[in-house]
Formats: sequence, structure tokens, C-alpha cells
Amino acid sequence: MNPIPDAVHRSNVLVCVGPGGVGKTTVAATLALRAAVEGKGSLVCTIDPAKRLANSLGLAELGNAETRIADPILAAASGQQPRAAMHAMMLDMKRAWDELIEQRAPADKREKILGNRFYQSLSTALAGSQEYIAMEKLCELRMQRGYPMIVLDTPPTAHALDFLDAPNRILDFLDNDAAKWLLTPALAAGKIGLKLFNLGSSYVAKTISKFTGVETLQELANFMLHMSSMYEGFRERAHQTRALLEADTTSFVLVTGPMPERLDEAVFFHTTLLQNHLSMAAVVVNRVHPPVPAALWSHAKKLPDELRKRVEATLNENDHLASQDARGVARLAELCAPTPLVLIPRFELDVHDLTSLWNTSRFLFGEAHIETALPSR
Amino acid sequence: MLISAFERVKVGKVPVIPVLLDKRLLIVTGKGGVGKTTVATALGLASARAGQRTLVCEVNARERVAGLLGRPETGAQITSLEENLWAVDVKPHEAMREYALMILKFESIYNAVFENRLVRYFLRFVPSLQELVILGKILFHLKEKRPDGSWRFERIIIDAPSTGHAITFFSVPKVILDTVPPGALANDAKWMRECLIDPAITAAVLVSLPEEMPINETLELAAALKDRVQIQPQVVVLNAFIPTRFSPADLDQLAAGELRDLALAHQARARLSVSAADRLKALGHPLYTVPRLFTPTFGRAAIEEVSGHLGAR
Repeated sequence: MNPIPDAVHRSNVLVCVGPGGVGKTTVAATLALRAAVEGKGSLVCTIDPAKRLANSLGLAELGNAETRIADPILAAASGQQPRAAMHAMMLDMKRAWDELIEQRAPADKREKILGNRFYQSLSTALAGSQEYIAMEKLCELRMQRGYPMIVLDTPPTAHALDFLDAPNRILDFLDNDAAKWLLTPALAAGKIGLKLFNLGSSYVAKTISKFTGVETLQELANFMLHMSSMYEGFRERAHQTRALLEADTTSFVLVTGPMPERLDEAVFFHTTLLQNHLSMAAVVVNRVHPPVPAALWSHAKKLPDELRKRVEATLNENDHLASQDARGVARLAELCAPTPLVLIPRFELDVHDLTSLWNTSRFLFGEAHIETALPSR
Repeated sequence: MLISAFERVKVGKVPVIPVLLDKRLLIVTGKGGVGKTTVATALGLASARAGQRTLVCEVNARERVAGLLGRPETGAQITSLEENLWAVDVKPHEAMREYALMILKFESIYNAVFENRLVRYFLRFVPSLQELVILGKILFHLKEKRPDGSWRFERIIIDAPSTGHAITFFSVPKVILDTVPPGALANDAKWMRECLIDPAITAAVLVSLPEEMPINETLELAAALKDRVQIQPQVVVLNAFIPTRFSPADLDQLAAGELRDLALAHQARARLSVSAADRLKALGHPLYTVPRLFTPTFGRAAIEEVSGHLGAR
């Protein structure tokens, strides 16, 4: 079985998740590159606020717009004529939110929403809002743009889980009895000016306004009122998003490293994804140190003393890293069973151009292997 | 081991980055996976051993600091790890409670108001309130005093979120100031912001790795912290540094083959470390290098070693 080629073949959305600093963006870009070269037109989309993807693709900048990677670049990377186009983009949260409001809000509410301070912080700084808008964007791209393959890169740990949870959270928010109850009087009256939670001058209202300032609550109420006409649309799309994540044609690729300090996080991720009934294609273990061939030790013995010491120190370090990684890989295989593991070696230099991405893809697609103490099951 | 390290302090060899010695708040940040928690813990250890009461705060993370020092997890309670060193994993719910109690003073009112379902629902929607209460709780400990008038914690070290989220996190006081009208919340946000941007109080410690992308990200982060949050980066730590080992003469002695490839690979990595150091030095802040460690388990011994390296430039 070749889990990654299988997943690329049967999916039209691949979501790369995993802890930070393990090369997730590189893997995402590699998947999109390979899909395009082999004839499945692709888009790789990163929602990570750090501008890594452009680096990975050798581009100076990447913006909200889908940018086509020139065919000659793909050809140079792969040594063959690409059979489909590769695109890449980075999500600009603020612009995506503004576009959403411009497209979906009723004409008379648009300016009021865009000008509300709560909206402004929602669209730029509110925790969880970038995960939400990323899901919106994924859905939109999937439905409107017709890419045979969309590869999505996600931000690290806690936030990637927020990301998976975003559609649920927005549903919870909209379905919440509290929201309905709070908004009903104002909605019924058809005007702004909610009395504070309809609690009048109760001590609860007084205490809260001590905390946030009384006008804050008024402005928040206004914001919710303006947004209220969009609630049904939000609800509908949140359901669509959830359905998209759970679809047979969506696969998750968990990217992690073999080092012990990342292990718990990776297993936690794996468990969470399975609990959410999401389809796991593979656990990609990136930057694995291959074992040191035993013959090298006897070769080293023949060297002059000083040089031998330096070579042996290097052999020792490499051996240490290789056996540490082998232990990590074995543990991952055990804890993530039966999800298949795919190992990518640590390359001598950073992987940040298309040629190196292609090299990575050979391991990802099972055309090259590293030996490690990976137990065969 | 512990005693000898402590003795070293007594004879005047202070194992903490000198430029940070007079700062009360250290914000440790960088790309995911570069070793922020390691550096934050090592700085905490060094600061505590320099005789200063030090609190290391993790922010809504999978708690690691206490474990790295071989101690049980602290959870959301400030817990003493050893002499002069405390740790806490700051979680939004507990922080909200503590923060509200600081304002309200009475627990019964807190329970009646903040445990109210409707209220919790609304508070969840106040922009960035979670981050604000987390930051608020941490900064509150910065001005807490002991009965004798001295600081409860002379130094607080935040093991901050990684790059993109760090910018969001530390922008929160400004976001709040721009969002909410005058009131208790705005006053606190103002105070927090003043605290964060005061270079006499606060310093950012940027952690990086000798690899292309982490370095790029560090350079961007330094600029963003300075321009968008107005926090001054003070020190850059280059983690997992590979020192040069093979001379050109060494390489000449090695015949073509796997051993030579091994040496060449090492040399390439060492060269990458040097060029990474050069790029980071261009930021104009003091640069500390921590060599790549080859320890069987990454625990207390490793932290001790990192801590030692942060003492010497």
C-alpha cells in the first residue's frame, strides 16, 4: 500500500495538520507540486500567518490571490513536463472577512458592520476568527474554483485544533439559546438599543459593565444585531464546511517529527482527528536521521588520531540522532496504529526550493525509502 | 551539581544574560519548534540561580516547563519548582476568574455574575478578552508585592506563542484600547500596553534555528514586534548551533567515500550555522548561540547545559 499516492488519487482536499516546526508547509507544497506534475491541477493554501509558503516555493511574496507557479519551474523541479497547473496562495484574513461581508451582508447593513469596532477586531485579531474564515475560504475555493486538488496547510497545534473546531464553534454560537434570548427583544423591536441583556439595572448588568464598560455591551449588541441577518447563511456554510471535512474525498495528513518532545503532541493530534471521524491518510514523519552504516566505524579507525577523534565524534552524534529517531518512529507507529507512517529523511540542507521539494516527494510517494528500526507490521 | 552551580553564583559568576538582568519581563518567542520552552526554562533557571525570584509562565499550552526540570506538572496554580523558581500554565478560564476577582474583590459576586451562562456567553465574544485576561494575570503578578514591599516576583518569563500568534497575543492591549470605550478594561489594557512597550521593563528574546526558514521568520518577527507591537527585541538566541569541526586540511586527508561525505555534511551544517549567526547579528541585538545537544533524554541535564550557554557570549 502506498498511502500518500492513494490519498492524492482519491481526494480532492488534503489537509496537513501537526505541531509547529516540523515542515508541514513543505509537505503541503510538495503534495500540491506532485499532484500538478502528475496531472491533477492543484492549489496549495496556507493559513499560517508566517510567510513560509512563498519561501518554500521560491517566491518573494504570496498574497490573497491564487498565483500560478510557472510551468518551467515545475518542469525544472521534476525533470518532466507538468501535466496540470500548480497554484499557491496565502490567506489574508482581513481581506477574506471583508469579502465575506461584502458578498453576504444585506446592502443596508454592510457599512455598519464594516465600521463596527467589534467587526474590525473580529476580522483582524479575535482568536479563532482566522480559523473560521480559513474554513469559509476552503469551502468557497472547493465549490467555486474547481481545482481538482486543494492542499491546505494549517497553523501549529492548539490552533489547528481550533481550526477543526471552527465550524462547530460557529454553529454553537449561532444555535446558542443565550444568543437568541438576548437578541429577541431587539429583533422584535426592530431597533438597536438592547437594554443590557434585558436585565435593566440589575446588579448583574452593573457588574459586567464595570468590567467592560457600559458602551462596550451596547456596541456589541449593535454588532450582533447587524450580523443577525447573516446568521442563517453562517449556519448553512458551517454545516457545509463540516461536511467537507468529513467527506470521503477529504483526507488528513498528520505531519510531525521523530523527536521525543514532539511525540505527545503528534499522538494527541492523531487521537483528536480519529475521534472527530476524519479520514487519516498517513502520519508523515519528517526529518528522520537515517542510521549510520556500521562499516564507517572500522573505516574511521584507520584515520590519523586527531582526525579520527573528530570523525568518531561526528559518527557518534549521527548515531545518537538516528537511534533516538528510530525510537520515536517506533513509538509513533505503535501509538498511531493502524494509520501508516511515511518517513522522510532529514536532508543536509534546508528544503526550500522546488528541486528539494521534488526530492522530498519521492520519499512521500514511496519511491525512495530510508532504513530505520521501523517495526514491520 | 545543584549546589556547585549555586556556589558559582555566590562567587560572582552570574549565569544569566547580562543585558537581561535588569529587565523584569522577558518574552520568549520564535517560530514553532525552535526551542522556545527550552530557552524560557533555561533562562528561568539561570535567573533563579542569580538569586532573583522568577516565575515562568506558559500560555495555554501543553505544559512542559516543570517536566523539563524533572518536577510534576504545575497546572494553573503558581507552583514552586525550586529555590527562587516558580512556574504556572496560564489557562483562559482560570485567568478570567482571577482577573475578574481582582476587579470585583468579592467571590460571591464573581460566582453570581461570571458563572452566569448568559454572561459567559457574552464575555466569550468580547474581542480578545481571553488573551487579555491571560496577559492581565501575568502582568498583575509583575506588580504584586510582598509584605516587606519587595516584588513577589522579580522577574517573569513568558513562554509565548509562536510567531504569528505572538504578534496577535501581544497586540491585544492595543486592540482592546481601540475597541472598548473608557472603563476598567480599557484602563487595564492601557497599563498593560505601557508595560509591554517600556524597554526598561520588558525585553523580547527571539529564539531561532540555523535553518533558512526559521531565520527568515525571526527577521520578520523582529520587525513586526518593533513596528506593530512596539516591543523591543533585546536578545537573539540561536539554538542547535553546530560549531565548525573539520578544517580544509582534514577534508584533504579524507579519501572520497562515506566518511568524507559525513565530514562534508557536518561542515555544510556548520557553515549554515555561521551564516545564520551572521544574518541574525545584522539585527543589531546581542546574539547567543546554544550548541546542538546530543543528550539521551531532553530533561534537566539538557536545561542545565542550555542555561550555562546562555551565560556566556
